[in-house]
Formats: sequence, C-alpha cells, structure tokens
Amino acid sequence: MKRLLFLCCLLCLLLCALPLYAETQPSPQLLDTLEKNAGSVRTLSSDFVQEKHLSMFKNPMTSKGRLYFSKPDQLRWELTAPVASGFVLKGDRGRRWHERTGRTESFQISQEPIMKLVSEQLFAWARSDFAWIKKEYRVTVLQESPALLRLEPRSAATAGFLHHLLIGFSADGRYVKSVELHEKDGDFTRIRFLNTAVNKALPADIF
Amino acid sequence: MGEPSLNLFGRLYRYFAGRRRVLYGATLMLVALSLFASSRLRLQDDIVAMLPDDGSSAATDFRLLQLAPFTRKLVVSLKTQAPGDSAALVAAADSLAQGLREAKVGKVSTGPAALGAEFFGFLGTALPNLCGEADLKRLEAASAPGKVRERLREGYEQLFAPEGWALKGKLQADPLSFSDLVLERLRFLNLVPNMRLVQNHFVSADGSSALITVDTTVPMTDSAASRQLMDRVDAAVKTRVPAGFSATVLSGHRYTLANADAVKRDLYLVLTLSIVAVFAIYLVFLRSMSALFVFLVPSSVLAIASGAMALWAPKVFAVTLGFGGVLLGMVDEYATMIYFACRKGGKDPALITAEVARPVLSGALATLLSFGVMLLSVLPGQRQLAVYSMTGIAAALLFSLVVLPHLVRPAPGGSLPFGGMKTLHPPRRMVLALWCAVLAVCAFGATTVRFNGSLQAVNLVPVELKRAEAELNRTWGDLQGKALIFAEGKDLESALELNRRVFDRLAPTLPPGELVSLAPLLPSQAQQRENRARWVSFWQEGRAARLEGDLAREGAAFGFTGAAFAPFLATLKASPAPLNVDGLRAAGLSELVDALVLPGNGSVRVLTLVPDRPELIQRLSRELGTLPGVHLVSESRFGAAMGGSIIHDFTRYLATTGVLVFLLVAAVFRAPSRIALVLVPVVTGVVCMLGIMGLLGLQFNIFNIAATILIIGLCVDYGIFMVSRLEDGGDETSSLAVLVSGLTTLAGLGALALARHPSMQSIGVSVLLGVGTGIPAALFVIPALHRKDKA
Repeated sequence: MKRLLFLCCLLCLLLCALPLYAETQPSPQLLDTLEKNAGSVRTLSSDFVQEKHLSMFKNPMTSKGRLYFSKPDQLRWELTAPVASGFVLKGDRGRRWHERTGRTESFQISQEPIMKLVSEQLFAWARSDFAWIKKEYRVTVLQESPALLRLEPRSAATAGFLHHLLIGFSADGRYVKSVELHEKDGDFTRIRFLNTAVNKALPADIF
Repeated sequence: MGEPSLNLFGRLYRYFAGRRRVLYGATLMLVALSLFASSRLRLQDDIVAMLPDDGSSAATDFRLLQLAPFTRKLVVSLKTQAPGDSAALVAAADSLAQGLREAKVGKVSTGPAALGAEFFGFLGTALPNLCGEADLKRLEAASAPGKVRERLREGYEQLFAPEGWALKGKLQADPLSFSDLVLERLRFLNLVPNMRLVQNHFVSADGSSALITVDTTVPMTDSAASRQLMDRVDAAVKTRVPAGFSATVLSGHRYTLANADAVKRDLYLVLTLSIVAVFAIYLVFLRSMSALFVFLVPSSVLAIASGAMALWAPKVFAVTLGFGGVLLGMVDEYATMIYFACRKGGKDPALITAEVARPVLSGALATLLSFGVMLLSVLPGQRQLAVYSMTGIAAALLFSLVVLPHLVRPAPGGSLPFGGMKTLHPPRRMVLALWCAVLAVCAFGATTVRFNGSLQAVNLVPVELKRAEAELNRTWGDLQGKALIFAEGKDLESALELNRRVFDRLAPTLPPGELVSLAPLLPSQAQQRENRARWVSFWQEGRAARLEGDLAREGAAFGFTGAAFAPFLATLKASPAPLNVDGLRAAGLSELVDALVLPGNGSVRVLTLVPDRPELIQRLSRELGTLPGVHLVSESRFGAAMGGSIIHDFTRYLATTGVLVFLLVAAVFRAPSRIALVLVPVVTGVVCMLGIMGLLGLQFNIFNIAATILIIGLCVDYGIFMVSRLEDGGDETSSLAVLVSGLTTLAGLGALALARHPSMQSIGVSVLLGVGTGIPAALFVIPALHRKDKA
C-alpha cells in the first residue's frame, strides 16, 4: 500500500511538473521575437564564467573572462583566469595570444576547421541568427520566458561529439545569458554571461 | 633505251580491245567490292601507330606515363579576383563542382575526403607500425619528465579555450603529441606542390584559386566523346562560375579536340583549295570529257587500297588512312602520262600503251621502293602505311595501263593543249646558269637549316592551351612535369617493400616537397612487423611504466584523474593492427592511395614521383638501375627517346630509299650521264627544299623527313618520264604529264603548307618547295642538259 501511495504521489508530481518542462516545437513567434530583439543589438560586452565538467579531471575546471562583440563579424573572447589568453575574430581573419608563453599568432578562420566551427557558433549566438541555428539544429523550447532552448545537432558529424546545447536568453530576449554544451560522453561545459552591456561603445582597438 | 616493244601492257590492250565490257564490268566490280570491304574497316585512333614495337621500352614507357596521377584527370582551376575571400572561393568551387556532378562528367573532387575521427584513429594505430629506430629516440626525448609537464600544461590550458572541447579526445589519446611523427610523413604525399587545404578544399598557396579534379572514363583519344565531355564541362563552367571568378579547364581531351579541330579546319581549307585547283588544272590542260577518267583513277585507287586493308587488317590506324589517302590522291602521274599519249594518238593504242608502260613502270617501281622501305620501320603505323600505299600504287598502275587506254580517245588532229608546250624552250645557257645559281644559293642555305627532332615540334598546342598550362603551373606548381618511378611486385607486399627501398635511396637527396612517396606512410607488412616488435620492446623496457608514473604525477598537479590518459597508455602496451590500403582509405586518404597504388594483371605497382629534371633523371637512372622491378619513366626522356627513335627510323629509310632509287635508275638507264639526268629533279628538289627552309629560318622536323621521301619518289618519276621520252624522240607528252601531275601534287600536298597543324604544314612546306623546284628542273633543266649531252 505504501508503495502504491508512493507511486501515486510520484505520478502526481510528474503530471504537475509536465507543463513546466514540456518540450515543444519552437513557436515561430518566439524565435521571431528573439531574432527581432537581438536585431537591435549592435555591440555586446559581457563577463563570463565557464565551468567545464570533464571526466578526465577530478574537479570542474572554472575559468573567467570577457566577451566583446560588434556587428557584423567582430568578436573578442578573452580569458582572464586561470590563464590569460584569448582570440579575436574579424571577418575571416583571426589573432590569438597566450600570456604565459608570450605567443601571438594570426590565422585564417577558413584554414582552421575547429576554429571555423567555434566561430560559427559564437557568431550565431551573438547575432541570434536563427536561420543558421535552425539549419544546424533541431530546436525545442524548454521555457518561453525567459527563453530556454534545447538544440540537437542535425549533422551526424556534429552529433558525433555534441549531444545537445541548452541556451538561455535574458529576460528581454536580447542576448544569451547562459550556454551549456553537453557532449556524448556525459561531459559538459556551462558558460554564464554576467554584467552584459548592450550597444555600449567599445574601444576601437579591442578587435 | 630500247625501242618499245609490244610488251605485256600492249598485249593486254589488244586482248581487252574486243572485250571492253568485261574489262569495265570487272573494274567496276572491283571498285564496288573494295568499297564494300572498306566499309568494314575499323579505325584505331590511338598513339600506338607511332610507338616503336621493336622490343624497345617506348611502348611500355608510354603506357606507364599514362598512369601519372593528373594525366587521367580533368583539372579545373577556379580563380577569384578577390584573393582574400577564401569563403567565397570555396563556395564558388562547391557550386561549380555541383554543376559538374549534375552534368555527369565523372567523379568530381574539390578536396581530400574529410579527415575526421577515422583519421585521428589511424594516427594512433599508425605510430607503432611506422616508428623506426630514429623515431623512437625522438619519442624518448619527447617523454622526458620535463617535456611531459610542459605538454600537459599546454593541453590543460588549451582546454579552457572554446576550441578546447575538440582537443579533449586528442589529449587523452596522445597527450605528448607523438602523432606529430606521422603527420610529418604526410609531407611526402603532396601531389600538388603549391596547394594548401582550406575548409578541406584544394586552395592555392596564394589563396587565389581553388582546384577541382574530375575522374572521367572518356578516353582522351576519342574525339567525339571528348567533345561531348568538354561541352558539358564548358556549360557547367558557364552557368556555375559567378561574376568575379574565372575558370581554367585543362585535360588531355582539350588537346585531342584542339588537334582534331585544327585538322578538320585544315582539311576543309586544303581540300577546298585542292579540289578547285585540281579542277582548274584539268580544265586548263586536259580539256576533254575523258579527263574525267584521269580524275577517277586516284579515287578508285583509294577505294581499292582501303578495301585491301580491310581484308588484311580489320583495324587500321587512322593515320594510315589519313596520310595514305592524301598520298594516293596525288598518284595521278601514270594516268596523266597515258592520257596525253593517247590524246596525241597517231599510233596503234596498243603500241602507245606499250611505249608509255616502260617509264611508268620504272617510275612506279621507284615509288614502290620508296614506300616499300617503310616496311622496315619500327613504327606499326608506318608499316601499315607502306602496305596501304603500295597496294594503291599497284592499283593505280593497273588502272592507268590496262583500263585507261580504252577510255581515252585521241584528240582531233592529235593536238595537245598549249601546242604540247613545244614553244616553251627557254635559252639553254640561261636555264643552266639560273639552275646553277639557285643550287649554289640553296646548297649554302641547306647548311644553315636547323633540325628539331622533338615530337613537341609537330604537336599542335593552341595559344589558349599554352596560356592555360602556364596559368596552372604558375598557380599550382608543375602538376604534370613529374617523372614516375614504378616499384613493381607480384603482389602489394613485394611492391611496397621495393617502394621502401626506392624511398630509402631518394629521401637523402630529395626534400618532401619534391619527392612524393607512399613509403613513409605505408611500409610493407614485414617492415611493419619489425617496427611493431621494436615498439613493443622499446616500451617494455620499463619506459611505459615510467611514463605512466610521470603522467600520473604531472597530471595530478593540473587536476587530471589517474585514468585521464588510459587510451594513450594502452597503445604503449598493446600491439596494434597492421596498416593496409583499406585502412588508409578509411582514414580519408583514398585519393592518394588510388593515385599511388596501381594494381595490374598479376602484379601491383607502387608509384613514386620526382621532378622531371634531366640531370636528376640521369642520376636516378643509374642509382635505381640496380633495383630489379623498378622502372623510371620521364616524359622529357620519353619524348627525346621517341623523337630519336623516329628520326633514326626515318633517316634510315631516307638513306635506303635514296640508295635503292639510285640503283633502280642505274639499272634502267645504265649510262652515268642519263642516270645523272634522271636524278636532276630529285637533287634539285631536295637541295632547294633544305636551302629555302634554311634561308627562311624554318626548322626541319620529323615530318619534313617523311615528306623528303615523298619528294624523292615523285621527282624521280618526273626524271624518268622526261629522260625516257627525250631518249625516245623527245615528244611533248611527258612534259605535259610532268607539269600536270606536278601541279596537281602541288595543289594537293603543297596546299597543306597553309594548314595550321604543324605536321600537315611541315609536309606541305616540304612538298611545295621540293616538288615546286623539282618540276621546273624536270621540264627545263633536263632538256637543257640533254641537248648539251647530245651535242
């Protein structure tokens, strides 16, 4: 009897929770709204905290840094701790640096397959480019407001290493507040964006 | 010369005089059967006709040269006007590649297969199979504790970057970057010198161009299929190449079409000119309906020679029919001789036939000897040409001496056109002085003529193709100018072992950019076994345990778990599977494997590429000569050897023809003065041809040699006709016959001088100069010298 009661309670809980986390197809209005809101964004600057939960490490790896974006194709990703390093993307060109080694090098994005993949993702989120996102991922809405989306890669190549993404938007829907990358082996990376400033003038030499 | 008796042909005339219907019927039947037989002819349109089959290596070398990686491919170089924008370049290349695929032109490739997880898996498997003694020393240095710490720190820091997620697997499987040793070996597999990969596309080093390759099944020698193929390619280029881009297409099919188009254009021009000119000559000189029969002799001869070839060899080289057809089209001097003699009349036609038969037979014998010598050629196409031409000449002889005398009626009053040229006798001294002066000038000019034995000199490469070649070489490096080294074994294992030995000899002196070899990435199974055993023993000597400890200790400082590098440590303990061709293909290297591993019938060849530099080829020929089963072929050396072989062949039968013709003339005319007279047109024609070419700065090539034989054959006929008739009383029919047949020859073969194709033009120039000077020598110098002789 106790067991039956427990099962009933569990069922009730599940039924109650269902409306909260039901995965639905994205309504065109939601994506349109997000895209429209993001459309007004010309520049972004934000601090971020990154947590990597990798099975090859005993503890999560935490790092901090800052992101700058300027439409249409300039982006700076800068780690400040534990190791000062980062990169700048400008069109098809890029430059990366590493403070400890003192190494700075320029590169062409199209010649570096991994960097190309990374830059496509970063620019897509910074611009809220839903046309590209829908082409690359199956999008489901986990939460309407603030928007929380779950993305599963369409291409087998990407699906080979990336299981899904969770993208959380700001309350006004103008920018991404958090990203979670879940890998096939259970490892995941969470990035939280803090102190985001929209359309604030950026130093000219930052890119 | 004795008085003409009623010889075989005179008697044959009398025999058929009462049986003309039988003769005509039999002739028509023969021509009809020949036409029917010739319809069964199958043309062999390939280079085999011009490859020596004397057991030399030329034919083998030629076949091996066709196995070079880019020889069989159609190459498209897509150039952008904005070199910085590689994304646009790649997109345009993809669009054009898709267009080419839709046009079904073959297997289209814009880059190597995507190097994914399989490739990185391959790197791990490859290392134990490839590592030699020196490599293990490098690994030992790379696994020193200090290096381990440094590498782990680098890996740890890389993981914080956004691209770090892609490096996680690599860090676990190869934390010390041992696989760099394998990646280094890929430098020996760069088939395109100035190429780098951008988004897995072949892009030029300067970023201006993308390369698309097409594997097509259309044979390069098939001009009709080549045209369809190139039309489809051109249409795809036209519709798919966006503004701001341009495409350069290069393939063997383009050369085939350029040559076929040039020959077609040339033949149209030459045939039109020839027909108009020959018709005009006949109209001016023959002026009779029976002249039609003279015109029909060469046409019938073509049918008979082709029919005979169909019975003898069902597959005939196109060059035999082409060149032989032109030659036989000019064989009208026998018919012209009998025509004028019959038109003059005044005697029993049987006697006329018998009288004309002797010089005609002598001339025909000289021509048969000229072509007969070609039977000794090492080129199968030349031997076929000999049979074809000799059959045609025999048929021309029979038609002229047996059938034609019945068809040509005497002209009213025996009058010949232009009064039989009786009045055309310029002053003897003036003729001889002019002749001597011309000969002296031409003899001097002949000493300055330059000889070019290269096959390239007679190959048509249009300006646009030369430009395309230069553009491709400038952008991509020399794609096709590579010498090929084949390591051949009864199976893949023995071929790979031999290939390794070749590599060991070449690698010390040739850098990776110049040397392309599979040996560094795919040794023989025996070599791999040896390497694996060395690998296992190396790590079992306590090194694996020590490294495991170092990794655990240094890794712990960065927070790595104890199992973080388990996949890597497993490769130090286990013996991996051997590498093979299928493994390389699965790793995304199938293009390279297919280009360099060439299975054959009962053997396998593995290909190595080196620069085609004469001094290098000479050195490698010596160094690799001691390795049985290794075959070095180089396009430049092959071209020179082929040119040399053809020159040797032609020169030999030019000399033999000269000697045989001289002996024949000597046997027929006996007296040295008459022999000298007969040879006047030949000597004049050859000296003037060489002299004028020298004075005009024209080079003498292999087709000029072939044409010289023709000049000897034709001019000696003129000499024989003229001297025979002068000896027999000096009537005018021989002058007319020489003039008319000479003019028709000039109209036919000489018109080739206007051709664009170098081979046809060379023949035309030679004939124009040789026959063009041989005719006046026969018409004016022989009579002038003969009068002096008589005086």
